Amino acid sequence: MPLSAITPYALHIAAAIGALGLYLLIRPGNPRVRTAGTLLGVAGAALFVAAAIRGLNRAFDGSAAGSLPVVPAVMGLIAIAGAARMVTHPKPVFAALYFILVVVSTAGMFLALQAEFMAFALIIVYAGAILITYMFVLMLAQQSPTESVGDVEGGTNYDRVPREPIAAIAVGFLLLATLGDSLFSTQSELRHTARPATVTDAAERTWRELEAMPRRLDATVSKLRAGAVPIPFADGRLIHVAKDGSAMVHVQVADGGVVSFLDLPLSDDQAPTNTQSVGLALVSSFPASLELASVILLMAMFGAVVLARKQIELGDDERREAAGMRRISMDDPDPPSSSGFTSGGSTSSAATVGGTAPGAGGGRS
Amino acid sequence: MILRPAPILAETAVSAAGVYAASPQLLQLSLAVSVLLFVIGLVGFLTRRNMIMMFLCTELMMQAAALAFVTFSRMHMNTSGQVFVIFILTVAAAEAALALGLVVLLYRKKETLSIEAWSELKEC
Repeated sequence: MPLSAITPYALHIAAAIGALGLYLLIRPGNPRVRTAGTLLGVAGAALFVAAAIRGLNRAFDGSAAGSLPVVPAVMGLIAIAGAARMVTHPKPVFAALYFILVVVSTAGMFLALQAEFMAFALIIVYAGAILITYMFVLMLAQQSPTESVGDVEGGTNYDRVPREPIAAIAVGFLLLATLGDSLFSTQSELRHTARPATVTDAAERTWRELEAMPRRLDATVSKLRAGAVPIPFADGRLIHVAKDGSAMVHVQVADGGVVSFLDLPLSDDQAPTNTQSVGLALVSSFPASLELASVILLMAMFGAVVLARKQIELGDDERREAAGMRRISMDDPDPPSSSGFTSGGSTSSAATVGGTAPGAGGGRS
Repeated sequence: MILRPAPILAETAVSAAGVYAASPQLLQLSLAVSVLLFVIGLVGFLTRRNMIMMFLCTELMMQAAALAFVTFSRMHMNTSGQVFVIFILTVAAAEAALALGLVVLLYRKKETLSIEAWSELKEC
């Protein structure tokens, strides 16, 4: 009875407990406080998930009651704990390693959600490529240990002392409560307008995807029965999906001189894989976005090259020469011109800052 | 509005439509994890003072968004959600390339990664 009395507020209570735990974690305190913060944070996260699922069971009138999937739940808790440690760890390199932990456990949840392609793409691209870039930059831009003031447990001052932790956590708590209400409240609009797909819907979608891949459908059919060619049903569809989710394809078999028609049932083995579905959706539904993504990557590459380019100071004469004009002053080929380099210049800031050696350019202000 | 309590509501039996393709518990769990990851990333973005760590927290928020996309994709058995994750990966890669280049340039200018070294940019 007391549990059901607090249920409407369970999400908010869990969010508050988690926020308190994160606050204890974020403060640079002694290990005991951190342990308490860890415990509170884990309790808050577990309570939040439990409250969300409890609200679900209530909304589904108990008919969808089932056991909590254990492996994804453990992975989710690992991801949350890794994320919490990532935002609180004083050493950026360790934080990046914790982020890899988050990525890997999220990829595990992707696997549980049957998004195999995205799971491995995530590991390859995020944990493999992007995080390595972060690691490189962290190593390049490492503060030298003599500069760090008050080096107690490693890390520099600005890494150990958080900025406005109470305000930030209050903002986070508000966002968490709002999102929790809108996503997990039994009265939220979302739950009533967005109906999850049933098994019949899922079968329909799956076999329509196979239908949209004619060559794969031909290969599937000829693998089921040699020499068979799919022909449309009376409604124009190549695959007929029944109400119970079973599917069949109508084929024409030319065996010698005899042409026969028959229905071949399709089993789950013939369904398109996750990678094929994603590829089909990518090129059939979002071709323009795909092109846009390639342009974004190209521009990012240009930008990175421009940013990383070594700064070479040119005098007036070199500039004239580079522009194909004639030199004016013949006596001094490289005068240290100051007019061509203004550190506060707005138009050519990308070209004027930088340089490989920090002391080489005059760009420091 | 924000702290509106979730009322106990039992009369909506959506289950009349049939058997659901994905376990509702799993979907709810993934959504809850995604929400928590996003909020933790936001708190990290607001509290960290290291520029690289701030970008890393942005990546964490993108990760949470990707998890939500995949969850809804599974919920509706619609692979478009997973396509959006591909675009998220693209944007994250482009952001990492550009932002990290910028961070290195800023570091060379002031010899520190602290974001407060650049607080003059906010003009107040």
